[in-house]
Amino acid sequence: MVTRNKLLRELPINFALIIMVIVCLFPLYWSLVSSLKGRPELFEPTPSLIVKQPTLENYNVVMSLTGGSQIPLYLWNSLKVGLGAVIVQFITASMAGYAFARMKFRGRDLIFYAMVLVMFIPRVGGLMATYELMDFLNLRNSHIGLMLLFPSSISVSLLIMRQAFLAVPRELEEAAMLDGASTWQIFTRIAIPMAQSALVVISILMFLATWGDFLTTYTLLDDQNLFTVSIAITQITGWSTRYSSEVATTYGSDNAAFILAIIPVILVYILSQKWFVRGFQEGIIKL
Amino acid sequence: MADIPFPDKSHPDQESFLAGFKSAFTNVRQEKRGNRLGYLFITPAILLFLVFQGYPIIRGLLMAFSDYRWLVPETQGLFNFNGLDNYRTLLQDAAFMRSFGITLKYTALFLPLLLILSLGTAILISKVSNPTLAGIYRVVAYIPVVLPVSVSMMMWRQIYNQEYGFLNYLLEAVFNVQNPPMWLTDPNWSMAAVLIPDLWLGFGYFTLLFLIGLYNIDYTLYEAAAIDGANAYKQLLHITLPLLKPIITLVLITTGGLASAVVPVLTLFLVGGGPRQSMLTLGAYGYQTAFSVGDMRMGYAASMALVTGLFSMVFTAIVFKLLHTERS
Repeated sequence: MVTRNKLLRELPINFALIIMVIVCLFPLYWSLVSSLKGRPELFEPTPSLIVKQPTLENYNVVMSLTGGSQIPLYLWNSLKVGLGAVIVQFITASMAGYAFARMKFRGRDLIFYAMVLVMFIPRVGGLMATYELMDFLNLRNSHIGLMLLFPSSISVSLLIMRQAFLAVPRELEEAAMLDGASTWQIFTRIAIPMAQSALVVISILMFLATWGDFLTTYTLLDDQNLFTVSIAITQITGWSTRYSSEVATTYGSDNAAFILAIIPVILVYILSQKWFVRGFQEGIIKL
Repeated sequence: MADIPFPDKSHPDQESFLAGFKSAFTNVRQEKRGNRLGYLFITPAILLFLVFQGYPIIRGLLMAFSDYRWLVPETQGLFNFNGLDNYRTLLQDAAFMRSFGITLKYTALFLPLLLILSLGTAILISKVSNPTLAGIYRVVAYIPVVLPVSVSMMMWRQIYNQEYGFLNYLLEAVFNVQNPPMWLTDPNWSMAAVLIPDLWLGFGYFTLLFLIGLYNIDYTLYEAAAIDGANAYKQLLHITLPLLKPIITLVLITTGGLASAVVPVLTLFLVGGGPRQSMLTLGAYGYQTAFSVGDMRMGYAASMALVTGLFSMVFTAIVFKLLHTERS
């Protein structure tokens, strides 16, 4: 009885939250539905929320486009840049995080806090300066440039990694040291495995940030063949020229492209839930 | 779906950020010389950080006092300053003043709505007693945050679409609106057209921040208040809001004072800045100036960013002051 009363009392709350859920998911749902509609259904005068005859026709169209709009290539570029950035960050953040947590050297804490605080400095003309710098380093039209640039904003991952290494029991490391393990061995064999959920969390955050970035990537890349999917998506649809009799067909295939662009993000997000939960439990993510 | 438990604050080996920060400045001398290896370990991170974060901060600041144009090599010296010329030009630049107005108006709409939406959602979710259900709500509210902004905007374009979009069909058929707005082509509606998706993609992040704050509020406070006869509204006003002040401050700082919605403005409309430049916010104007029109006047754009940044800092300082004096 008690729980039923509770449920009843919470009914208006749940009603409001279900509206929130609908609003949050509607654009995704609408895109998905439109991408699965065939030509006749797209042409119907009253748009329908369900697909009567789902078809993968639009996906075939998008995947086989050539010339200025090659979705498989853009997906591959995004994956490449994302994984590259994750690897670079894995190396820099884990090593620096370990040093800031466990090693003793002069100026350690000062350097750490300075690096974290830079996060709060407003970037005046940062994008312009970055553009000039990347051009100077010959990294402007290159994936390598992006793989180095994204992990360089290291504040959050440093905070998380330092926290995670601080939480590793000191006794484990001391025992290994007594057994004659070198610092590098302790770092790779004990500290890194013990901090794995933190490493997974910062990797996920980096991957999502890289995959979803628009402004920096769009500014630094001119070569269409290097485009990541998030910036290509704003170009390939060629809105202005297609508002013609053909519009219904591109409406379907455009939506198919959007769905393809977000599937990896949604997958990573859903699959990563467990790691974030662990991160919270271990106290490595906090505010 | 996963349920996010929130951390207990008593981890033995972790000092508070602020305490650590203070001791970092006072104890530099006392730290042991000891381990050279430490420097080796932080070298890759420091190198990346200095080159790609540190240098642009300084270079950008220098640029703000020069007439740097990307397509005119003679203007690009590191110390090629032009004094305060950029700022004199800014004062006479009608487009800049107009952008400023648009940005202020947009911020005045965006920030309060963002706060109300995210705080409201967070309070509602915190009242759901079924943990699975609450977990689902949290995960869903966060989905717009993780999606690529540009793709989300493209999806919103589809919803706004005059002929095939769902929004105007809904307005016409269900709510019986006679002439639904031309969202993306009517200058009068362009601000609303940016505002809706911008709130949509931003509120989930702040909902999560507020939720963490709400879960940390001691539940007995509410029980005590209820015994004293305080109703839900009074509890919100006298317990929830005061205790969430630090998070409200954090929200206002994270959003950076002035809201420019650069990416939505650049991607949502067919022409940059919206129909008749009606949504040319400061951020969008700066981006256009630096990267897409004329000589690519990066110096001028940097000085715009400097002015905007100063205004944001003033705004943040005012927020800080207001929220802190209120407490005492």
